[in-house]
Amino acid sequence: MGVESAVDHEYLARLLSQAGRGDEKAFAELYRLTSGKLFGVCLRMLRNRNEADEVLQEIYTTVWNRAASFDVAKAGALTWLVTLSRNKSIDRLRQHREESSREATDFEGIVDEQASPADGAEVSQEHRRLQDCLDQLEPQQRKSVREAFFSGATYNELAGRLNVPLGTMKSWIRRSLMQLRTCLEP
Amino acid sequence: MNAVADNGNGNDNLRYAEYVLGVLDADTRAAVAHEVQTSSEAATAVAIWQRHLMPLAEEIAEVAPGPYVWARIRDALKLDQQPVASQPSRGLWNNLRLWHWVGIGASALAAACLVMIAIEPRTPPPAASTGYMVASINQDNGVTGWTATMDLDRARIVIVPASPQSIVQDRAPELWLIPAGQKPISVGVIARDKPITLTLSPNLLAQLGPTAALAVSVEPLGGSPTGQPTGPVIAKGAISGAPDAQPPATKVAGTDAFDPQPRA
Repeated sequence: MGVESAVDHEYLARLLSQAGRGDEKAFAELYRLTSGKLFGVCLRMLRNRNEADEVLQEIYTTVWNRAASFDVAKAGALTWLVTLSRNKSIDRLRQHREESSREATDFEGIVDEQASPADGAEVSQEHRRLQDCLDQLEPQQRKSVREAFFSGATYNELAGRLNVPLGTMKSWIRRSLMQLRTCLEP
Repeated sequence: MNAVADNGNGNDNLRYAEYVLGVLDADTRAAVAHEVQTSSEAATAVAIWQRHLMPLAEEIAEVAPGPYVWARIRDALKLDQQPVASQPSRGLWNNLRLWHWVGIGASALAAACLVMIAIEPRTPPPAASTGYMVASINQDNGVTGWTATMDLDRARIVIVPASPQSIVQDRAPELWLIPAGQKPISVGVIARDKPITLTLSPNLLAQLGPTAALAVSVEPLGGSPTGQPTGPVIAKGAISGAPDAQPPATKVAGTDAFDPQPRA
């Protein structure tokens, strides 16, 4: 599309700030540039296109209404948007999945434990660092953490999917998180 | 809670990590979200965990949403902007400068957490329209592919598959509203194997009537990338039961039909 090379972090942050001040054009441009990524996040968690459509609409409605609270000096615009998308998707999952959690067969399988960056995407230094720390975990524990992040599943659901007792899943994840913390905060 | 033993604020910190990872159940999650709003320590801890874990999101591939999503957002927010192409823009996302995970302050993430619990009111349907409309969407061989029921009060359409023909892999059926003499307007992506409920934007609601038709075309999975049908039209049907016709004899029959689709 040609324009992306000129687009950078600051541009995205500026669009978000402008949208916060009610600039519809900036908001439309922000949607054009970010909706594919955020829809990917929603779809991966919700695994249902209609729900992902609805949650994406909620996300951008929230962006429009709350973009003014985005602090350009302190946050990455992308972090703000991805965090918002994950939170909205998890909220949606919790709304209805806990009473009738999906059958394991509904899932196309647990996410691959191998890191697989989006096609053609370079991997950031931060991602490489996290990956190095994840690589130090036991394979089952690494798999659990990755599955948790990408699916938004609860401890209960994870235990069911990986076919281990709830207590085991909790201790795997908690130990992994503490290990990651030590690794990432030397 | 039976968090693993740790020194100092280890248990709290673990809870924030669990919150960011997304493994907490609804109640515990809401409790932590509340904490993040009211405690700057909690907000800071959550921000640090966001910074730690969010780079994993780089692995998620972009998927272009259907053009009707932007149309719905525009309608809901009453914006004037024309539809934008929602093509993925890979170049942008491959740009490392975007992924500034380091140095992200706590306040913005706390704001993001605040946002999470914000509840947006649903756009109320236009008060003027009442009742229901229906359409059988028939395929070329005369067999009904889908039936559509439009609930004007609730601004919803339910599309139930009858005997839809098979569709090539990696393609999805998309429903269009075609007002007489006008271009098709996307209603949304539907399914061959289950009922789908879609929201009718005010724009779509205004166009519903006995002179309008519904049609289904075969499109890429996220819906037509152009906002107009790009694949073959496989089924069509006229709409009956206009909003200004006499009110339905009974609305009872329709009410249950509009329960949200089963999730199982």
